[in-house]
Amino acid sequence: MEMLLMGLCMSVFGLGIAALAFGAATRSQSSDSSSNSKVQPQLPLVQAATPARFFSDRAGATPTVPPVISPQQVPIEVLLLQIENHVRMEQAAAEVFIAFPSQARLHSKTTSPFVN
Amino acid sequence: MTHELLNGLTSAEAKQVLGLGTRLIIPAGTELFRLGDAADRLFLTERGRIRLTLPMQVRSREEDIFVEERSPGQTVGWSALIPPYRFTLTATASLHEAEVIALPREALQGYFAANPAAGYKIALNLAVVIGHRLQLFQTMWVREMQRTVEVRSV
Repeated sequence: MEMLLMGLCMSVFGLGIAALAFGAATRSQSSDSSSNSKVQPQLPLVQAATPARFFSDRAGATPTVPPVISPQQVPIEVLLLQIENHVRMEQAAAEVFIAFPSQARLHSKTTSPFVN
Repeated sequence: MTHELLNGLTSAEAKQVLGLGTRLIIPAGTELFRLGDAADRLFLTERGRIRLTLPMQVRSREEDIFVEERSPGQTVGWSALIPPYRFTLTATASLHEAEVIALPREALQGYFAANPAAGYKIALNLAVVIGHRLQLFQTMWVREMQRTVEVRSV
């Protein structure tokens, strides 16, 4: 009988602690949700622009920006090739103008990446 | 092979003109003539391609900048018939070996004097070649100027 009473007491005590813990947990959640419902926090723009990456989404990760290559960094062979392609494209445009002269063809915009 | 310079000539006349010349093989990447050289021969392209270039300073280095490419049947080096008889471009065989017929100015002038009708046709064909170059570069120049003006106006 004593054992039964002790077990009952322990159960009631455990239930009480569980109830307190549950109450504390739900109270903090509800206070959080109530504050959320009042003001929607503004998301930082940088985070929105950050592309989603598998396994590496970190809150504080900065977006990766491709390095800007200045014209000085382009190898001279590449630069000469770009010039040659530009000359060829301009010649083609000039040939079209000579075959069918018009002001629009004379000043047609070039798609040459060398000047764009 | 039809050469633009010999358009309108009879086959006998064309044969006579070609007979004045010498066939030259230009290995790939080899210069046929250089800017400033004395121009005493005109070339008819038979095979391969000839790159015409002009020197330009690129990053403090003198580089040959592509200007034009001449294909089989086209004429190269008409400065040989126009005073002051100096080449104004550098001509190089492109990636592959090229073959040209070199026509000496003196031989051509002698032929024109003896065959004025054929000489007249060749002179007209030469005018077409030179005129086309003029129109081409005039157009390219004004397009480039237009771009410069647009950039400066911004």
